[in-house]
Amino acid sequence: MRVILPDGETRVMSSGGPLIRDLLEELGINPLEVLVARNGRIVPEEDLAGEEDEIRVIRVVHGG
Amino acid sequence: MRCSICDDAAVARSSRSRKLLCSSHFMEAFEDQVAKTLKAGRMIEDGNRIAVALSGGKDSVVLLYVLKKILAGEAVELFAITIDEGIKGYREDTIGYARRISDELEVELKMRSFRDEFGSDLDRIVVGRDEAPCTFCGVLRKSALNRAARDLGATKLATGHNLDDEAQSVMMNYLRGDIEGLLRLSPKRPLPGLVPRIKPLRHIPEKEVALYGILAGVHPEAPECPYAHSSMRFEIRRMMNGLERDHPGTKGSVLRGFEKILKSAEDRPAATPLSSCRICGEPTFRDLCRACHLLGRSR
Ligand SMILES: [Zn+2]
Ligand SMILES: [Zn+2]
Repeated sequence: MRVILPDGETRVMSSGGPLIRDLLEELGINPLEVLVARNGRIVPEEDLAGEEDEIRVIRVVHGG
Repeated sequence: MRCSICDDAAVARSSRSRKLLCSSHFMEAFEDQVAKTLKAGRMIEDGNRIAVALSGGKDSVVLLYVLKKILAGEAVELFAITIDEGIKGYREDTIGYARRISDELEVELKMRSFRDEFGSDLDRIVVGRDEAPCTFCGVLRKSALNRAARDLGATKLATGHNLDDEAQSVMMNYLRGDIEGLLRLSPKRPLPGLVPRIKPLRHIPEKEVALYGILAGVHPEAPECPYAHSSMRFEIRRMMNGLERDHPGTKGSVLRGFEKILKSAEDRPAATPLSSCRICGEPTFRDLCRACHLLGRSR
């Protein structure tokens, strides 16, 4: 799958588990600090992340 | 995954109901929760003139948007105050956004700046100081907001503090052993010269505020404040999010524990009466207010 990280970096990778949550864990990202869009739509982290998907990780910016 | 109410695509599992919700049911639940918080805390009464502290960041933008929506048709006035702290490369964009969003929502915006209120920008004030920039920023902004709200005839000052902010503030005061600071977080009695503060988003996790902002189409494309990483709050935020992930409900229980402490402290008589700062006249429990103390003003 294609993963777009909050800093804009794009990685092509496969995840160890089926869920978006598994992917975040692999990336060392706390799900409480991000939102995730799968193919352009925001989805819960307990949703699936498949090989064909584009996953964008959006940081929840602190403040104001 | 599907919304547990209507079968549309789910955007999140609500931290409160634990239900999967679609965009429109998530927004509805969010607005209900804010309305409940307003009601339970008797935060707003008929005839109120409410100043919203609008930094242009996601929390204050969501606050303005949701208050405007919830309070439509109520007998209250709403306006916004933006304080320009003077943080180069960061505030230009967020202040521009504050202007745009208040225009869009047709809410009057009043601007104030650190330069006018304290004689210089935050960037200049913090040079060569030991205290973290966020300490200055927080204390001085609070003072400037109160003065502006009072001068503009506000009867309430609403801020965008969310559950994460509140839990972090409580933890920060615990960790510093600063019980006075802890009690200052939520003054219960009306104090002369202090416009009563309300925090309508205080029960909502930061992540859900951000999500609501995105779904409502008002989430700013804002950079993070350049000073954010230099503060203890940043470390506490990380720690609290780690605890919340492994032990869901931690942030909420920090807040509930704090409220119990407040309750038991309320029964005791106030130690010192409120007076006015000798330099600037803002309300304070000491001779000098915290803003003047930090700025090293002495006459
Ligand atoms: Zn639904
Ligand atoms: Zn003062």
